[in-house]
Amino acid sequence: KPLLSISIEIMDVELGYSLQPVSLIALLPHAHFLLHSLSPSSCLAMCSQDIRNTVGNIPMEWYKDYPHIGYDLDGKKIFKPIRTKDELDEFLDKMENPDYWRTVHNKMTGTDLRLSDEQVDLVHRLQQGKFGDVNFNEYEPAIDFFSSEVMIHPVTNRPEDKRSFIPSLIEKEKVGKLVHAIKMGWIKPRRPKETAPKYYDLWAQEDLNTVLGRHKMHIPAPKMRLPGHEESYNPPPEYLLTEEEKLAWEQQDPEDRRVSFLPQKYSCLRAVPAFSRFIHERFERCLDLYLCPRQRKMRVNVNPEDLIPKLPKPKDLQPFPTTQSLVYRGHTSLVRSISVSPSGQWLVSGSDDCTVRFWEVSTARCLKTVEVSGAVKSVAWSPNPAVCLVAISYGETIVLLNPGLGDKFICSATDQLISSYEEPEESKEQSVQWTIAEGSDHEHGQRLILKHPKAVRQVTWHGKGDYLACVMPDDNSSLQVVIHQVSKRRTQNPFRKSKGMVQCVSFHPIRPYFFVATQRYVRVYNLIKQELTKKLMANCKWISSMAVHPGGDNVICGSYDCRLAWFDLDLSTKPYKMLRHHKKALRGVAYHKHYPLFASGSDDGSVIVCHGMVYNDLLQNPLIVPVKVLKGHTITHDLGVLDVAFHPSQPWVFSSGADGTVRLFT
Amino acid sequence: MSQLQARFFTENKKYAIDDVPFSIPAASEVADLSNVINKLLEARIADHKHVEFDFLVRGQFLRSSLASHMDTENISTEEVVEIEYVQKFTAPQPEECIMHDDWISSVEADSEWILTGSYDKTARIWSLEGKAVMTMAGHTDVVKDVAWVKRDGLSSLLLTASLDQTVLLWEWNSEQNKVKARHCCRGHAGSVDTIVVDPSRTKFCSGSWDKMLKIWSAVPTEEEDEVEEPNRPRKKQKTEQLGLTRTPLMTLSGHNEAVSAVLWTDAEELCSASWDHTIRLWDVETGEQKSMLTGSKVFNCISYSPLCRRLASGSTDRHVRLWDPRSKDGSLVLLSLTSHTGWVTAVRWSPSNQHQLVSGSFDNIVKLWDIRSCKAPLYDLAAHEDRVLCADWTDSGLILSGGADNKLYTYRYSAYVSDAGA
Repeated sequence: KPLLSISIEIMDVELGYSLQPVSLIALLPHAHFLLHSLSPSSCLAMCSQDIRNTVGNIPMEWYKDYPHIGYDLDGKKIFKPIRTKDELDEFLDKMENPDYWRTVHNKMTGTDLRLSDEQVDLVHRLQQGKFGDVNFNEYEPAIDFFSSEVMIHPVTNRPEDKRSFIPSLIEKEKVGKLVHAIKMGWIKPRRPKETAPKYYDLWAQEDLNTVLGRHKMHIPAPKMRLPGHEESYNPPPEYLLTEEEKLAWEQQDPEDRRVSFLPQKYSCLRAVPAFSRFIHERFERCLDLYLCPRQRKMRVNVNPEDLIPKLPKPKDLQPFPTTQSLVYRGHTSLVRSISVSPSGQWLVSGSDDCTVRFWEVSTARCLKTVEVSGAVKSVAWSPNPAVCLVAISYGETIVLLNPGLGDKFICSATDQLISSYEEPEESKEQSVQWTIAEGSDHEHGQRLILKHPKAVRQVTWHGKGDYLACVMPDDNSSLQVVIHQVSKRRTQNPFRKSKGMVQCVSFHPIRPYFFVATQRYVRVYNLIKQELTKKLMANCKWISSMAVHPGGDNVICGSYDCRLAWFDLDLSTKPYKMLRHHKKALRGVAYHKHYPLFASGSDDGSVIVCHGMVYNDLLQNPLIVPVKVLKGHTITHDLGVLDVAFHPSQPWVFSSGADGTVRLFT
Repeated sequence: MSQLQARFFTENKKYAIDDVPFSIPAASEVADLSNVINKLLEARIADHKHVEFDFLVRGQFLRSSLASHMDTENISTEEVVEIEYVQKFTAPQPEECIMHDDWISSVEADSEWILTGSYDKTARIWSLEGKAVMTMAGHTDVVKDVAWVKRDGLSSLLLTASLDQTVLLWEWNSEQNKVKARHCCRGHAGSVDTIVVDPSRTKFCSGSWDKMLKIWSAVPTEEEDEVEEPNRPRKKQKTEQLGLTRTPLMTLSGHNEAVSAVLWTDAEELCSASWDHTIRLWDVETGEQKSMLTGSKVFNCISYSPLCRRLASGSTDRHVRLWDPRSKDGSLVLLSLTSHTGWVTAVRWSPSNQHQLVSGSFDNIVKLWDIRSCKAPLYDLAAHEDRVLCADWTDSGLILSGGADNKLYTYRYSAYVSDAGA
């Protein structure tokens, strides 16, 4: 051991000076090779010469100022060799000594050492990164100990352990713990690796249809027409224009011309002059390209038949009136108003010949004629089947009349009811005068006479038969509509302000609503709350008549501008449907009480019956199908049908006309 | 196809010919066929006089050429056609035109007298020659229906129903020519539109606008039924009263609308037609409704023939419909006779011929039908100038019709007598 350490020190000393670039650390791994490479003799020689310095690995500068440079093994000073060499000597030595390059200075001993050839060779080898030992072959062929070939003799012949056959308890325990941890959710199983490639698809969001659409919408530039025979320099003679054609061509507007040039014939191509219209033609071509449509118009190809809603056939909507069955003749002037008794046995008609006639519906027999002192404007049979009363309006008067038709018991009960009225103690001043008919008027059935301040145009009963509303049209008066209560002989004026000329009024069949039709609007008032509930925009110029569906949620309005507006009060304040079936102004409209029918009478002399089904289901809109045009009335003085009314129980419609007849259609 | 094989037969022995098929032109019409038969008969019988015949192919009258008839009826022309021939019905001969003061609402005739009800609130008895015999005035309103109850000897019982909600039972002595109102039948709350006397002549039934059918006794008595009408002042009632008050034996209710016509199909069964589009059959004993026939229109009139057991109805359209009242399914229209152009207001079966009936309509025409030819009537009796309201056919072969032109026409129809075999 001491020997080895010494040799390393020598090496350090020898190499440290002479071979500057080689660092000691780089040399260290090669140290033992160095040792091996050095022959034992030379080593011993070195050792014998060597005076061991025991100062260790310290910077030798520390001994610079001393005469010695260390201590030997015995502790005696090692003195520095006497150095007389100065710089000049050094230079001379360098110049003259051929071994100067192989001489190294040993700092430890302060002596110069000349490297042998072997040592120089070794240094060169080390510098080149080769092995120090010349004889060492670093690329000796390797012998595979574990080869792929199965040998006849195994590497080890030891039999397998017993424990290799027994499942390991520790492993089991560990696996059990892992399984438990997985079960408890403490360990999450490894997430499967996302195999999807990660890149951003720029067009992923684009809709396929738009792409297709873009392709579809592509419009190629318009192509130029290929030249034909006409453009030829030598066209066939039939393409050449005659003199007249040339004249005509010149007189035509440039845009009307079939061709924009005159076909011309030349004897040879050489004779063809320069094309004078070149700039024009190019300009037109540019215009064509510039003005060609860039967007394809999506023309909707719809069969107009498909746009018509699928309506059921009229013959599936039976029963409805189809033919004229009876004509009630007797009036000598136009019949303004008709009304059917609630039992359906009698019909009352009021005419301009100042008579009211009562007819038997089934035979057209006039059973009774009551003469009044003015043209009868309106008649209305009380809808209460327990009384027998007819309200008749003429001039400024309304007469409540007991016709004495129907059940005798009811007639006498009605008379009793009217005569049993007792005047209340404090009588209020009323705008309408109630008087009891006496004398011959009483004989004719008149019971109560109501004198109004103005001419009465319409009377209508409330469904219960006690209230009676009448219309006195006046453009700017608050007293246009009054409501009478027959049992108390009281008159109310429900409206304080005039909202335009009132055309007609109607009571709601079930609820306490009141419909007032002015020229353009129908206002629906709540009589209990005394407020305006709705205002229906009729969208026509002048409402003439109005009828309320027995269900109460639908209203029809006839107007003088040939229209019939159907309002669905649940739907909107605008008409659900406008029917323009009539050629002339509508005069009367009516709903049937039970059947889904409504009718309108017009100045064109026809009655149009429509099927108007109102469903209980609020989601389903009413079904309106015109089913029949009934003609029969002759037009006199430009007036046709003036009023229509339905029979209360049969699908029959009555119409009264300007020709003085009432007609029944069944 | 120009020739057809046909075999002629008849039930009238007088005109029987040999039962052999003949080949006849397909285009031949009734007149041609009639000539053929007459020729054959002349060959058989020496003193044969020319007779007009009518021909039936499978129960349908021949009205066009034979070929087109068989084409429309889908009869094969390959086989021998069986053609029945009957002596042609002669047209009804108009006899009398009886003028009234007002519309005639109803007519009923027997072998001697004609009873009519009129809108002038009276009922009248006429002789067959058109002489006014008696006027019964007592109703305060239009007389809607009349009926003979019984005629034994010189005294007769008759009924009038009116719009004033009463039915009056009159006794008429034809010798003294005196009439007396025996009973005033009160109880209806609407106009009494129809009355009919039962086959035993002891009861009658009335149908009214108040939707009720009421059955009354038709036997005159000297007692007055108690009327419970507290509201009516007693005094007033007495003054109005004409005859003794009578109350109904039974009330049948079930109709939803006015009853327009009623009749007895037999002694136990009543049939009523109504504006509620139904014909109902009632059991008189129990007062229960037995069955119901449902139509689609208002019924104006019905008539029943015991010979063919069919019900004929006239409604507010232009058809006369035939019904089988015994069918259980209720609404079987066997046949509808279509030629009228207005409401059919009167139908009456022939009392002696099971195929024939008469109908009157608002189109002013009375039509005589044979149900074997439902497309066209046998004869149109177009004498009326206004709506026909009533019609009748007596056992003695008299057809009567009254209408809104105030005229009552009578026709003698004797064809059925010569057609004895039918």
